[in-house]
Amino acid sequence: MAAPVLEIKQVSKFFGGLAANANVSFSMEEGMIMGLIGPNGAGKTTLFNCITGYYPPSRGEILFKGRRMNGLQPDQVCKLGMARTWQKVRPLAKMTVLDNVMVGALARTNSLRVARQAAMEQLGVVRLAQRAGALAGGLPIGERKRLEVARVLATRPEILLLDEVMGGLNPAESEEIIQLILELKRGGLTQMVIEHDMKAIMRISDRIVVLNSGEKLAEGLPAEIVSNRDVVTAYLGEGFE
Amino acid sequence: MRAGSPSCAPRGASPLPVVGFLAAAALLAAVPAFVQSPYALHVMVLLFLAIIQGESWNVLGGYTGQYSVGHAAYFGVGAYVTLMLLQFRQVPPWWGAWAAVLLAVVLGLVVGSITFRLRGPYFVLASIAVAEIVRLVVQNWKSVTNGAEGILVTEVPALRIGGHLVTDFTGKVPFYYAGLGLAAVTVAVNWAVQHSKLGYYFQAIREDQDAAHSLGISLARYKNVALAISAFFTAWSGAFYGIYVGFVDPNLLAVDVSVQIVLICIIGGIGTILGPVLGALVLVPLSEALRSNLIAEGLFSLGLSPTSRTGLFLKENLAQAHVLIYGILVVVVILYMPDGVLGFVKNLARRRAAARGAAAAATGGAA
Repeated sequence: MAAPVLEIKQVSKFFGGLAANANVSFSMEEGMIMGLIGPNGAGKTTLFNCITGYYPPSRGEILFKGRRMNGLQPDQVCKLGMARTWQKVRPLAKMTVLDNVMVGALARTNSLRVARQAAMEQLGVVRLAQRAGALAGGLPIGERKRLEVARVLATRPEILLLDEVMGGLNPAESEEIIQLILELKRGGLTQMVIEHDMKAIMRISDRIVVLNSGEKLAEGLPAEIVSNRDVVTAYLGEGFE
Repeated sequence: MRAGSPSCAPRGASPLPVVGFLAAAALLAAVPAFVQSPYALHVMVLLFLAIIQGESWNVLGGYTGQYSVGHAAYFGVGAYVTLMLLQFRQVPPWWGAWAAVLLAVVLGLVVGSITFRLRGPYFVLASIAVAEIVRLVVQNWKSVTNGAEGILVTEVPALRIGGHLVTDFTGKVPFYYAGLGLAAVTVAVNWAVQHSKLGYYFQAIREDQDAAHSLGISLARYKNVALAISAFFTAWSGAFYGIYVGFVDPNLLAVDVSVQIVLICIIGGIGTILGPVLGALVLVPLSEALRSNLIAEGLFSLGLSPTSRTGLFLKENLAQAHVLIYGILVVVVILYMPDGVLGFVKNLARRRAAARGAAAAATGGAA
C-alpha cells in the first residue's frame, strides 16, 4: 500500500478542561473518500479546524504527505494543497459568484486572466456558470453550497475537506452534491467528508471514522460501521439493537 | 444590488473610466489659467487634500474593511517630519517628504503587526489609541518637535531642476498642481488595486476573514500591504498640507482629523473609486460654506435684515456653530444614504430605470 497522504496521530484538542478531540488517530490514502461521522458535538468540525490550521492541536501530530502541519496557518495549509469548506457557508457576499471563485484561483496564480479562466472552469464543474455575474450574497442555499465547493476547488487542493456540504439541502440538491463528490473522486481527488445524512455517507465513503465525545469510536468500511453496536448506541442510546 | 452589479466587481477594464479620468485631470489642470481668485484656488487645494486622504484611507478601510480611526498619525507624521527636516535641518521638502512618508509606512507596519490580530471594534479602538500615543509623544517631546507650540516654517527653498526654476512655492498655483497630481495618483492607485489580485484579496478579507484565510490568503501580509499603501499616501497628504500651510502643531494628530478622513469615505461611498472624490466634493464646500457663514449671508440676501435682533443673533452664532451644523448634516447623510452619496445616486438611477422599464411594459401591454 502506498504511503498515506494524511496521517492524524493521536490528536487532542482541549478547550479549558473540555477535550473536544482526544487521541484521535487515522490515516488516509490517496484518492479515497473518508467519511467522518458522529453525533452533534462529537468533535468533527474541531478536527477539521485542527487539520486545516485554525487551531493548533493541543497534542499529537498531523502529517500531510509526511510533512508536519502543526502550527501552520490556514493560508499555508491551503497553499500546500489541503483545503476545506465551512459548515456554515461563508460567501464573500458583496462580490460576484465569479469573483468568489477567482479569489480561490488566485492562490495559484497572480494573473487575473488565468484566475478568471480557472474560475469559470470550476463554476462549470459545479454547474453554476450561468450565475457567474450574480452577487454571492443573493444565492439560495443550494447554490451557496456549490459555490463554496467551486471556490475551494479553485485553490487546486490535493485533499478536500467537506464540512456538511449537504446540510440544509433538499434530496435533489443533495444528489447533485453526491454526484459531484463521486466525480471528483474519479478525477483522483482525496476527500474527507463530514455528513449527517447516513445514506449519503454510506454510499460515497470508502472508509468511515466515527467520533463520539471527541474520541474515535470506530473505524471501518461502511458495511462494518452500520452493524457496529457501539455506533448504533452512540447515535440512538441503549436498547436499539 | 442583484445580478451584474458593478459596484465591487472588477471586470475587464472598459476604456470609459480611463477616458473620463484623463479628461477630468486635463480640465482641472487648465483651471488656474482661468481662475485667479486665491480663495477659489485655496478651496480647490483643500478639495484635493480631502481626495488624497479619502482615497488613501479607502485602500485600507474601503477595500480591506479595516476601519482605522487613527490615520491622523500618518497624516501628522508626514507633515511633522517634513517640516522638522525643513526647519531644523534645512532639508528641502521634496526630499524631506520622502523621509516622512517612509517613516509613516514603517510606523504603519509596526502598528499593523500588533493591531491586525484584533477584529472589528477592537481594531478601531487600537487605531485610535495608537494615534493618541503619537500625538502625546509629539506634544511632549519638546526638544525635537517644539511641543504644543508647533513648528512654523520661515522659508521654503525654491525647487530647481538643473538650474531651471520649477517653482518657488509662492501663491496657490504650485500647490494646486501638486495637489491635483497627488489626487490623480491616489485615484489611479485605487483603480490599480481594484483591478489586481490585491483588490480581490483585500475585498475577500473585508467580506469574511476566515473564509479568506482558508483560501490561501495570508491575513497578516495583505492587511499590512493595505496599511502600507494607505499610510504612504496619507503621509503624502500630510507633507503636502504641512508645506502648504507652513505650520504644524499637535492638533494635526487629534482624533477629529482621523474622523474627518473616515467621513470623506463614509459620505461618498466606502470601497469605491469615486466615493472619496464625491465625499470630498460634498464635505469641503460644506465646511467652507459653514465656516465663512454663507448661511447667514444667504438668509440676509433673502430679505432678513442683518441689523434686526434675529439677524444679529444668526450672524454671531451660525459662524460659531458651524461644527455643530456640519455634524448634524453628516448624521442626516449617514441616516438616509447608508451607502454614501455614490450608492444613493446609483440606487436612484437604478430605480428610475426600473420605473421606466415598468412604465414601458405597462404601455406596451395596453397597446
